[in-house]
Amino acid sequence: MANVAAGLLNVLMVLLVAPLFQGIQRKITARIQARQGPPIWQPYFDLLKLLGKEDIEAGTVPAMQRFAAYLSLAAVLTVAFLVPMGTAVPGALVGDAILLIYLLTLMGICNLLAGLAAGSAYSLVGISREMMSMVVLEPLFAIAVIVGALHAHSLRLEIVLNGSAYSGTGVPWSGIVMLGLMLLSFQAFVQRVPFDISEAETELMEGPLMEYSGPKLALFKYAQMAKLVVYSALFIGLFIPWGETLHPPLALLLFWLKSLALVLLVAVVAATHARYRIDQAVRYFAAMMIASLGALVLAAYGY
Amino acid sequence: MIARDLFLRLKGSFSSVIQRADLPSDQRLFVFVEPAALKNICYHIFRVFDARYVISIGADDRPYSGKFLVAHNFAFDADHLLFSVLAYLPPEKPEVESISEVVPAASWAEREMRDLVGIEPVGHRYLKRLVLPDAWPEGVHPLRKDMAWNEVPEGLDNSREFMFDDPPEGCAVVPFGPFHPTLDEPAHFRLYVEGEMVRGCEYRGFMVHRGIEKLAESVLGYDDIPMLAERICGICGCVHNVAYAQAVESAAAISPPPRAEYIRSIMLELERLHSHLLWVGLACHIIGFDTLFMHSFRIREPIMRIAEKISGNRKTYSLCVIGGVRWDISSELKGELRHVLDGLEKEWKPVVSAVTGDKNVQARTRGIGVANRQLVKEVGAVGPVARAAGVDIDCRRDHPYAAYGRVEFDVITEQGCDVWSRLLVRMKEVFQSARIIRQCLDKMEEGPLQAAITEELPPGRMGLASVEAPRGESHHFVITGENNRPRRWRVRAPTYQNLQAVPMMIKDQRIADMTISLGSIDPCFSCTDRLETIEVRSGTVRLWTQEELLQAARSKKPGNSGE
Amino acid sequence: MLNKIKEAIVCLRPGRVTLPYPAQAEPVPENFRGVPRWDGEKCIGCAGCANNCSARAILVLDPCQELRILQYIGSRCTYCGRCAEVCPEKAIVMSNEFEMATAEASDLQQRLDIFMSTCQRCGRCFKGAAVLEGLKMSGYRSDEVGSGRWVYRSRALLEGDAVVDDIPIELD
Repeated sequence: MANVAAGLLNVLMVLLVAPLFQGIQRKITARIQARQGPPIWQPYFDLLKLLGKEDIEAGTVPAMQRFAAYLSLAAVLTVAFLVPMGTAVPGALVGDAILLIYLLTLMGICNLLAGLAAGSAYSLVGISREMMSMVVLEPLFAIAVIVGALHAHSLRLEIVLNGSAYSGTGVPWSGIVMLGLMLLSFQAFVQRVPFDISEAETELMEGPLMEYSGPKLALFKYAQMAKLVVYSALFIGLFIPWGETLHPPLALLLFWLKSLALVLLVAVVAATHARYRIDQAVRYFAAMMIASLGALVLAAYGY
Repeated sequence: MIARDLFLRLKGSFSSVIQRADLPSDQRLFVFVEPAALKNICYHIFRVFDARYVISIGADDRPYSGKFLVAHNFAFDADHLLFSVLAYLPPEKPEVESISEVVPAASWAEREMRDLVGIEPVGHRYLKRLVLPDAWPEGVHPLRKDMAWNEVPEGLDNSREFMFDDPPEGCAVVPFGPFHPTLDEPAHFRLYVEGEMVRGCEYRGFMVHRGIEKLAESVLGYDDIPMLAERICGICGCVHNVAYAQAVESAAAISPPPRAEYIRSIMLELERLHSHLLWVGLACHIIGFDTLFMHSFRIREPIMRIAEKISGNRKTYSLCVIGGVRWDISSELKGELRHVLDGLEKEWKPVVSAVTGDKNVQARTRGIGVANRQLVKEVGAVGPVARAAGVDIDCRRDHPYAAYGRVEFDVITEQGCDVWSRLLVRMKEVFQSARIIRQCLDKMEEGPLQAAITEELPPGRMGLASVEAPRGESHHFVITGENNRPRRWRVRAPTYQNLQAVPMMIKDQRIADMTISLGSIDPCFSCTDRLETIEVRSGTVRLWTQEELLQAARSKKPGNSGE
Repeated sequence: MLNKIKEAIVCLRPGRVTLPYPAQAEPVPENFRGVPRWDGEKCIGCAGCANNCSARAILVLDPCQELRILQYIGSRCTYCGRCAEVCPEKAIVMSNEFEMATAEASDLQQRLDIFMSTCQRCGRCFKGAAVLEGLKMSGYRSDEVGSGRWVYRSRALLEGDAVVDDIPIELD
């Protein structure tokens, strides 16, 4: 019971805090760009505005467009239900690490569905880019989870998402390698510059999201904002989980502070880099994949 | 070689076909020949003498000489010579042999001649509409003297569409423009894409064609036209302003006083500074690097402010009248300008060194949008596009005008031929511009600002002016006329030639690189389009009417998605 | 990586450059070319401004021998400042105003009704125009100030001469 309550609290917190984190990101980007930037509450207003707009259904398959919009936010919130955010893992009743990996992949597929349903030339180019990067990128997180599971000898979420990457004996080499790789590729998971290739505004006019407006676009934007929070929670759970045993209010606070630090990192990297081209990004991810496979082998041998 | 030498060389080979020649000065030569010999002479000039092609012009001279006029302009940069070979065509059958076979760069100019004046280039391989909208009926030519500037032709057919070629095998069609976040102005590139690679493209532009040349011939006077010329382009307006004034001054043999020339140079260089800084910001925005975009604009801001203090407006300086300039630079303003330049250089140096060492930016710009020396020669590309390919041309040094003959500066060239080289060229030219401005400020002499014009300007005289815009050479051709207005005014903006290089630049490259390749020529579609308003009240006749656009966007006709 | 840190330092040095406009008014330099303002006291009715306006935004109508109406239609004005430059009495000043957005076109218009008195010595109302300005005017102005149309009638219409080289057009 307490677990379910904690899960619902997670979902609520994600919904409330995701736009705030986006606002903080925009403010930091603005400061780096020597300008004032919008107020940190701006994304809330943006979402409200989008929700109030006329819903024009202009793609090839409108039913699929609707489905993709709902699915994107729903998938992210489901993952939020499963991941510890300063409290115990709620999803221990519901599933294990395999379910988590599946849901993460589902989150990525929503964009593909969105682009396919829209059907315009630019959306199709956008989703082809997204597909290319997904193939080499999604497994990275899966491998991180598997490395943790290998060390902890369990697939249960409350064990895996509790610093399991370090739980082997001796110096946790594979854990450290995975930590480094995840830091280097975090930007790509949350789809920010230099890796927001599928939605390159100046090249592709927003790519898969091109035919969406009004409430559906609000759902997609919300899903994007929430993805950042959820991925930070996953990262923190896997690699920097310390402090969870403190009293609940303190543990919550500590978690959100760690999250904020990750958000700052993402914002600073996004502001200081140019966007990569899809083939350069794929090469970069492929290099990471190979390194992560090395870490997997190390984990299998107990290092 | 100066004009006389070139004329003697031509006379050696072509004396039988030369009807007349004008040598107004050592740097200008006009040769009138028989129409049948035009192609041969142009071949000789372009290939054998290795001149640079500038533009071809068609004019309706029937009220004055009873004939049509065709002119092909070339430039001998190393010899500081601008040369024009002209021919008169019979009024019943204005046809001329197309030179686009021997001079590929003339392709657009001849299509424009055909659209606007009705001179048919026989033998041109790609005779589609260039300038006029497809709704326009055949046989109606706006720049002819018997058509009024505000006349709406009968037979407008808004349902007629531009017939694109078929895409090559296995390629999808990705329409780029007219609406696109990267483009500042509307233009349509129809990309034929195989996966991520672009295999070909077709261009349909001239959507902001405004009727400027016709207005100048029919409605405005000599001193009104600089204001109109300035509005050809938002970024390089001063260039057109000065180039027009210089063309008329060259035609009428008026010399502006030295102080005016220095002020013209200073304002032109200020414009180059602001344009290059803007472009660097824009290029970084295209590759996704918004931070540098913001900072370029921040560094550019003091230039806009000092321009506002000197001329009264941040961008439209409204600088020239025939014979001089309108604004003076007082000694306080000189001090402020020096201060602004110091601040600019101090801020720009770290940006240049940061970008030069940035692997991230280089990864997006090296080897992209390659335009090598041969393409530059064939297409007549000018400006940083040519200089980045190692072609050493710059109108400020090759055809000195205003005060450029009296100052020293370097012409920056790079050998890379790609977007990265163009980025480097423009970034370094910022320092050269600051150097020129400082020298002008030091050397500026006291004196009047405008030449006193006491007589009517003689009609029927021709003038050529080439001014180095931030994007390349901007060339104006003027035939002076009666009633205080020119008979013909032709503007050739640098983007006119550079755009013709784009299809080759983006071939076999990825879509992602298409925008930065296009952006690297610094396209200014307003400069390119320029001509023909129909009716002042209801506005231009567009390629798409609003109903058509809405319909096309909502329906799903194959090949029309996204338009 | 080091380069990015260098870039970040370059970026952070200037601080925040956003101006508080429009919360605070932004000063303009003194020779800023804003909306031209006519001073009726100084104007002598020479219509030099009207003849030199590149945008044809100043209209002239002579209802009778002694009266001249000068109307500035601000909608097409390009703020080039030619009117202020050629005014012999410096009656036109390019003001500092640039915040002129309005829904009523008449807010931008200015109109002067001028009594044309003649010089006692030479009998003319004002000095002849300069060479480049005078050349284009071989007729007279009879603009429709009510509707705002610039109407230029060639002298030929007055004298019944059918052969003219400038085009007798009704310009707008």
